[in-house]
Amino acid sequence: MIGLIIFIFLVGLVLRFPIAFSLGLACLVYVLTEGIPLVVVPMKMYSGIDVFVLLSIPGFILAGNLMNQGGLTAKIISFCNHLLGHIRGGLSLANIGASMLFAGISGTAVSDTASIGSVMIPAMKKEGYDDGFSCAVTAASSTVGPIIPPSVPMIIAATLSGLSVGKLFLAGAVPGFLLGIGLSAVAYFISIKRNYPKHERSTFPQILKSFVETFWSLLMTFIILYGIIGGIFTPTEASIIAVIYAFIIGQFVYKKLSFKKIQVVILDSMKTSASLMVLVGFANLFGWILITERLPQLVSSEILGFTTNKYLVLLLINLLLIFVGTFMETIAALLILFPILLKVAVTVGVDPIHFSVIAVLNLIIGLTTPPVGVCLFVASSIGKTSIAKVSKASLPFLAVSLIVLALVTLIPQISLFLPSVFGE
Amino acid sequence: MIKKILGRFLKYGTLISTYCLIACVLLQIFARFFLPNTPPWTEEASRLFFIYAIAFSAGLALKDGAYVHLDVFYEKLNPKIQRAVLTAVRLLTLILFALMAYYALIFTKNGIIETSPSIPMSMAVSFFSMFILAASVSYYAYLELKKTLK
Repeated sequence: MIGLIIFIFLVGLVLRFPIAFSLGLACLVYVLTEGIPLVVVPMKMYSGIDVFVLLSIPGFILAGNLMNQGGLTAKIISFCNHLLGHIRGGLSLANIGASMLFAGISGTAVSDTASIGSVMIPAMKKEGYDDGFSCAVTAASSTVGPIIPPSVPMIIAATLSGLSVGKLFLAGAVPGFLLGIGLSAVAYFISIKRNYPKHERSTFPQILKSFVETFWSLLMTFIILYGIIGGIFTPTEASIIAVIYAFIIGQFVYKKLSFKKIQVVILDSMKTSASLMVLVGFANLFGWILITERLPQLVSSEILGFTTNKYLVLLLINLLLIFVGTFMETIAALLILFPILLKVAVTVGVDPIHFSVIAVLNLIIGLTTPPVGVCLFVASSIGKTSIAKVSKASLPFLAVSLIVLALVTLIPQISLFLPSVFGE
Repeated sequence: MIKKILGRFLKYGTLISTYCLIACVLLQIFARFFLPNTPPWTEEASRLFFIYAIAFSAGLALKDGAYVHLDVFYEKLNPKIQRAVLTAVRLLTLILFALMAYYALIFTKNGIIETSPSIPMSMAVSFFSMFILAASVSYYAYLELKKTLK
């Protein structure tokens, strides 16, 4: 029976069914064939969404969108350009730097690719960077977003595992920076090899001016993290404080928010949140079915029957998650697979916080894995470049992402150091 | 006409629920810092407004194509098959959510006798959000299906 619902789910995905609905349909078939009362569908949807920490997701999305109305993307890019533009291939480094800063505000990879890519890809192409390289560097750098806090996938992982959101945010910070640094190194070496242009060094007043313009939005990340880690706010409260802060900055500092604009931003943010929450609701039903069918135990005993070596188990999980992350949206993959795989990982002695970082990192690397990584598609459509060209150019970035993944997998302290120092 | 009224109802429902959600969380923070006690109902009220905000916007999300799907395989199909697939997808979406809407009413009815833990209110009020969610998605799925069949 479980094979049938997984089959229906996969067929739905292939036929362009929205992922959430595909999951819902598979569940519906199960409920009908097993003779379970259909009232379980709205019941499980309700209980899946009725979780206090999930309130932080629309909060963070809304705060990020409000900030963006103030022309934040352009300001962050300008600041990074002033800071890094004088280095060979400066625009590609500014692209990665902007993604790292933008990560603290948006929290999703696809929105990073779209917003930074729409400014950076045309600018890079204009200055003589290869089309494929411009798109690949944008797609690769946007994967830093969902791992640097605040991170929507980390909130979902915390909801599924009962771990502290603050600790998971902290755990993602160092791997996120490592990924950013690794990607910058690749971009720099390629730029040297291809003799990509560099700008004149900006003066200190220029850097300072662009920093001041960006400062207010970057302060939001600090307020969120300090509030959660310092025990001042819960993640949900921090997200609403971020909304109020973004509103004040947009209204009184950037002066770009009108009442009508705020309404549009709220509606857009809530539609994005609703699409995620319907997915969360159906995933709750799907998870209940998997438990009823004892699938977690089955997967666990299959993997542990094959090997109980911690590193071999992690290798198998990494391969599975990268493969799934290539095809499936991060949140959906996390909702379906994380609870099952967490059980296996914990059984072989992996720390749950460490495993959460591994899982999220895997799935976001999948977003730029050729041939079907979603971010590659978004970047190639912005850059009007063939996906084959972008895929080829993305290989060095993928290689460095995999090296970072290997380091994060093999050295738990990379993820666990910050939570152990600040998380208590 | 129905389309316009329903669109407005969902839009203002989303906006009002979101404003109320923000107000509840702010009250919770304010009470913790400046009042002797935090009102016990703020967390539950926040969750209620959150679920309603999601329920009101779920249909609008379908209308605006906010649900994530995979295009890679679909794009390789020929246009005739694409149209057939799209019709099937929209029809199945309609069936899924119409069934859910019907059972959401039964779920709501079951909630009449339950009382919310911290707000003197029947749980049917909260559970009714699932009907709004499913019914609004069904309605927009129906409109899309009609468009495809034309």
